[in-house]
Amino acid sequence: MVARSLVKSYGERVAVDGIDFEVEPATCFGFLGPNGAGKTTTMKMIYGLATVGRGELSVLGLDARTKRRQIKSRLGVVPQETNLDGQVTVLENLLVQASYFGIERQTAEARARELLDFSRLADRSAEQITSLSGGMKRRLLVARALVNEPEMVVLDEPTTGLDPQARLAVWRSLETLKRRGVTLLLTTHYMEEAARLCDRLVIMDEGSIVAEGEPGALVREHVGREVLELRVSDECDAEELVASVDGRLEGHDFTEDALMLYAPDAEELLEAIDHERYPTESALVRRATLEDVFLRLTGRSLRE
Amino acid sequence: MTDVLPSPRHAARVVGRNALVFSKLWKGALLPQFLDPLFYLLALGFGLGTYVATINGQDYRDFLAPGLIASAAMWSAAFECTYNVYFRMNETRLYDAILATPVEVQDLVAGDLTWSAIRSTIYGTVFLVVVTAFGLIHSPWAILLPPLVALGGLCMSVIAYTFTALIPRIDLYSYFFTLGITPMFLFSGIFFPFDELPGFAEVIAWFTPLYHSVEISRAMATGPGPMVLVHAAWLIAVTAALFVVPVRAVRRRLVA
Repeated sequence: MVARSLVKSYGERVAVDGIDFEVEPATCFGFLGPNGAGKTTTMKMIYGLATVGRGELSVLGLDARTKRRQIKSRLGVVPQETNLDGQVTVLENLLVQASYFGIERQTAEARARELLDFSRLADRSAEQITSLSGGMKRRLLVARALVNEPEMVVLDEPTTGLDPQARLAVWRSLETLKRRGVTLLLTTHYMEEAARLCDRLVIMDEGSIVAEGEPGALVREHVGREVLELRVSDECDAEELVASVDGRLEGHDFTEDALMLYAPDAEELLEAIDHERYPTESALVRRATLEDVFLRLTGRSLRE
Repeated sequence: MTDVLPSPRHAARVVGRNALVFSKLWKGALLPQFLDPLFYLLALGFGLGTYVATINGQDYRDFLAPGLIASAAMWSAAFECTYNVYFRMNETRLYDAILATPVEVQDLVAGDLTWSAIRSTIYGTVFLVVVTAFGLIHSPWAILLPPLVALGGLCMSVIAYTFTALIPRIDLYSYFFTLGITPMFLFSGIFFPFDELPGFAEVIAWFTPLYHSVEISRAMATGPGPMVLVHAAWLIAVTAALFVVPVRAVRRRLVA
């Protein structure tokens, strides 16, 4: 899949502002970014629920402008909103989905049973959608996206709103898919999720791509190895504190209530700080994560 | 044009989904709707009809019954292509899911309309059987009525679908029903003929689909003339002309 100078505007508002990316088959590619960064719009252009504005978008080697039906027949989609068919049962959701793809009834039936097993929903097959928990609905959405044995699955925030167990279950099924050679395209704002699943990812902000790479490389490149997170007291001059240890730092950020110091060895950095002169309320030493990259690149203040 | 002309194969899959849901619901939630026209027949045909014995020499019940077949179809189409479609499109967002499959907007709209026409025909035909049992149908031509009921249902469906595709909020249906459907039901010649009324009454009615459905229905119940073809042509023409409007509107709404 290739996007070149892809632009999408809604009236005055530019949702996607000239992005380029390429996705290799059988890999997991992630789109990270705050709400309103243009991730969902990009996904929708890929799976045909938004028209391509300007630029080029080729999905599975087909032009997304003109070959929508062909693309969609080879794609699986897990949308951000749960839009299961509430008027039919769990099993029928899969059978009806199969019918949209023109899959013959017997094949559909067998595949649906198999997918319910895969999603651990077999014992729920005759139930109504309303009786499912949030995690089960998500698993069913994933199962639904697989009915047509897609070559690529597009997932828009597949685990938003799930508890940790349910999230883990979704992750496991996505990892299984990846092993089977299915290309995954995923948006998320959970850094953990991106780090675990994605081979490559882009970080989007205000319609543009601000960074691209492998999760680990991105962390090393933009943040470093470790982070010392300090909550400084009111009487402490944070600017001066930063200046006093400047030689040891790979970078720093001020947030509303904390000071982030990036260094190869955060423990050592903590010891090097003159705590008499610069009193702190709390200090946390941790490994740098994608979250730090994300926040460094997209800013720490709340959006919207 | 390719984004307006539906693929019959894909539209049929949408029909299949809607038929599946109907097959689950009709015994429960939808049963009362079958009784609706029966109450009008009893109250007006057998109640009021006892005093208004004949209209233009025709027994009032015989006059009334065919019109109610047409209105049964109209009500079915009006509900299916308003609230039902609105919920699938805007509340449960089911259409987002369908449009992410090989089904395109024009197939979806065509499938929904076809289904709504079928559903109208079910309601109309059930009532045709009922009034035949009451002995109110006097021509064997009535056996050809169901496909013509479908035509009326389809035309009504495309009008309701157009309204649904264009309104921003669900509460605007009160305009559709109170200012559109109810007056049409009352003034399309189901309950009284236009002969003694000022000319403009029938002219206005001529512009409504129900008027033509009622005329077809009454003609088939007593023995049709060539005018049936004119009314049928009216329904086909309006349906064909209007189809593109909901297709464009739904696309604007869901595939912006």
